[in-house]
Amino acid sequence: MTALILFSTGGSFKVVFDAFPPEYLLYGGALMKRTLFTAFLLVILSAVLFASGADETKGAQGNGEPHVFSPDNPVTIDAWIVTSQTAPSPDNKISKLLKEKLGVTLNYDITTPDQQLDRIGIMLAAGSIPELVGSTDQQARLVQGGALLRLDDYLDSGRWPLLAEHVRPVRKKLTWTGGGVEDGLYQFPNYNRFYGNPPIMSPIHWGTAFWIQKDVLAFHNYPSLENMTLERYFDMIESYMKANPTIDGAKTIGFSFPMQGRVWGLTNPPLFLAGYPNDGGVMVDDGQAKIYANSKYAYDYFKFLNMAHDRGLVDPESFTQTLDQYLAKVASGRVLGVHDQRWSFGTANDALVANGQYERTYAATMPTFPGKKPYYADRDVLNINQGFGIASNAENPELLLDFLEIMLTPEWQTILSWGIEGEDYLVDENGLFYKTQEMRDNFNNLTWKQDNRLEALLDIMVKRQGELPGGNAFAAGDQPGEFFDSLKQYDKDFLAAYGLQTWRQFVNDPPPNPAHYPAWQISPPDGSAAQVANQQLEDAAQRYLSEAVLTDPARFDSVWDEYMAAIDSIDVAAFEAVITEGVQARIRAAGGE
Amino acid sequence: MGITTSPGVSAKKRPWRVTFKKQWQLYLMSFPMLFYLLLFAYVPLLGWVMAFQEFRPRFGLSPIGQVMSNKWVGLENFKTLLDNTTILGQRFLQSVVNTLGQSILILVLGFFLTIMLSLLLNELRLTGVKRFVQNVLYLPHFLSWVIVAMLASTALSLPGSGGFLNDFLLKVGIVDRPIQFLADPGYFWGIVAGTHLWKNLGWNTIIYMAAMTSIDPNLYEAASIDGANRYQKMWHVTLASIRPTIVLLLIINIGMLLTSGFEIQWLLGQGVNIVRSENIDVFVLRYGIKMGNFSLATAAGILRTVVSILLLTGSNFVARSLKQETLF
Repeated sequence: MTALILFSTGGSFKVVFDAFPPEYLLYGGALMKRTLFTAFLLVILSAVLFASGADETKGAQGNGEPHVFSPDNPVTIDAWIVTSQTAPSPDNKISKLLKEKLGVTLNYDITTPDQQLDRIGIMLAAGSIPELVGSTDQQARLVQGGALLRLDDYLDSGRWPLLAEHVRPVRKKLTWTGGGVEDGLYQFPNYNRFYGNPPIMSPIHWGTAFWIQKDVLAFHNYPSLENMTLERYFDMIESYMKANPTIDGAKTIGFSFPMQGRVWGLTNPPLFLAGYPNDGGVMVDDGQAKIYANSKYAYDYFKFLNMAHDRGLVDPESFTQTLDQYLAKVASGRVLGVHDQRWSFGTANDALVANGQYERTYAATMPTFPGKKPYYADRDVLNINQGFGIASNAENPELLLDFLEIMLTPEWQTILSWGIEGEDYLVDENGLFYKTQEMRDNFNNLTWKQDNRLEALLDIMVKRQGELPGGNAFAAGDQPGEFFDSLKQYDKDFLAAYGLQTWRQFVNDPPPNPAHYPAWQISPPDGSAAQVANQQLEDAAQRYLSEAVLTDPARFDSVWDEYMAAIDSIDVAAFEAVITEGVQARIRAAGGE
Repeated sequence: MGITTSPGVSAKKRPWRVTFKKQWQLYLMSFPMLFYLLLFAYVPLLGWVMAFQEFRPRFGLSPIGQVMSNKWVGLENFKTLLDNTTILGQRFLQSVVNTLGQSILILVLGFFLTIMLSLLLNELRLTGVKRFVQNVLYLPHFLSWVIVAMLASTALSLPGSGGFLNDFLLKVGIVDRPIQFLADPGYFWGIVAGTHLWKNLGWNTIIYMAAMTSIDPNLYEAASIDGANRYQKMWHVTLASIRPTIVLLLIINIGMLLTSGFEIQWLLGQGVNIVRSENIDVFVLRYGIKMGNFSLATAAGILRTVVSILLLTGSNFVARSLKQETLF
């Protein structure tokens, strides 16, 4: 009986236990947490009985004095952050500064993106979540499950002017209307809210391309990349491969792509080859979303890839390797071409740069089917359902908002992004920031960054992208002068050979995004037929496309027919209907403004 | 083995209260374990209500509040899983087949090889050598599955990526072009069984070895006098003496046939081998928990538990009718 009472008080602990047999609990130290949790329950049994935390009314929203951050008044903030960046080292320079100047100590709890959904399930069911919640969940499960605090009343109170201004121009887009909870704003976006008019844009293209090693282009004497086709792309790779069967002693790999957790590495190319922008798994025409997995474009691409595999150009391990193994291969410099998004192989690129292998880093190419115009690059898309929110059971949400507010001041934005003046950057007579070569090298040094940068925090933090007051770019790499000065001689020569100034100029100049764009942000609700169909489309693609590419060219068509039969048995219409509905809603919303 | 019951011990109808008074210290000492079992094995069963609901977790609600706030759907979730006209149903049933295939392979291979290895170890005369061999055999058991999966993935990859298995096969001349083990679903059950054996074979010998140490040496002596050679002693004395242990372990393992592990399938499973790699645990994680569908996950868990209980009682019944040792 005691056990029952005990149990019924402790959040839905049973949910977790039943859903996760012991094998899962051992994973990621969750078992220990569970044991601690039980011990905790035993000790404060009576206290828990009366504390039904969720119903507490948060009375004075925004009234009262802002927290005075000072070392005399130390606070500790528990922050959950979803990022692929690593935690800072214990004696990190900026962590120290936060403590010395503001008295703030951050307790990091970092989850990698691929583990995120597991953690969210546990957090929801257990009713326990760190107070500052930095997630990147497209499905907005935390919001729907009621784990995040609705921020609208706080923002309207006027106590946090910077945060309010941060979301003002994009409030409508950020507002959650997907049900489960009251409509409203629950998360501050972590990327692509731009300041400045016009904002300083990144000279780097962070999106999709068929990337090709710079040395391959140099080998072919910097050929024009206009009107690129798949044939030319793979021919360039093939002839380079023949001339360089090994790179640094390891076998050269022609072409690869990420697959584990990033299945778009395999499935998205037909979209771009057909001249569509990145709408995810669908092509949108006249407000109607349609999958393209069963289209002629898909057939043509995978037929081509199958032939390329037969020519020995496609790494067969692309279909079986983990994301880490893929990134390690790219970082080793022996992969000549990848279809990927630039941010996705960012860490591999950093490793190549840190090694000084500039000729092994990549330039963007945009192959298309004949007669199609490339639309690889889009205008930067505001992140929604990503970034910091406040846990709905946080003891002191005002304090957390105060903290985010102070982080959004130009002073702290500069510290988070550029570092400390005199140590990490210098200021010229016009007030523009610049760096010495040593400072730049530090920023490319992975160990140095752990000691001197808060990259994990910055990844999810509200950011003044575009322009800081004083005409400086938010990110050092985006500073116009700084970008070119920081280029190594190899990259300067490379750009000069193409007569270009930035990496962004290798891709198309994007027109304004369509009103619905991007459709990949529209996700079918949990448990719906559309969601199951989406998952099944993904599974079928992984299974049959792997086989289709790896098989003997003579068998390609029969595998393809199996794939089409598999798609036919999936409730595709339900999926397309949900996405079309979302597209229509966005078009209406844009028209109404 | 403390699990066996022998008819002689059963108490002679003594009133319960008298027994308790006499042995209350023992009862007291068993209480923590009982409490533990209750809390971690029985109380969680309350969560089974989720299987009959369309469950969406709500943050901060008490368990009763969670249950009350969700819609009841009856046996809908079970129907979804067992309906082999839908893809989801086909997938679940395929995952059951995979689980059974993988664990039967593990069980059969593991069963014979463990006993053989135990017999061999038992025959080692030099204690020092025996200890050393045992320690070497136990070591893989202490590696995390994540590490085992990475080792396996490297070992099975192409020669250029460190795939020494392919290197070996090529050098010996068994194959003329490298095999992509992980890309061909046909190999996956074997990979699962292989990694389990590699990791746990040595460790699993412990129970048999313990049983063997309790064999009366007089039996060996008597067998020698009767003219038994070494193999005959292994067969007629050692193996015969550990038979109860063997049967018990077999019954227990049959009860766990629907659990074929999780990590290897999760870490090495990819779209290309999913037909053979996705077992019940992975299915539950991908289509249940990852998609926020806890009801489906629970329903799958219940089905598994029910079948496991049937298997366990079934094999126990068979053992009893064959006049062998039984679990209960």
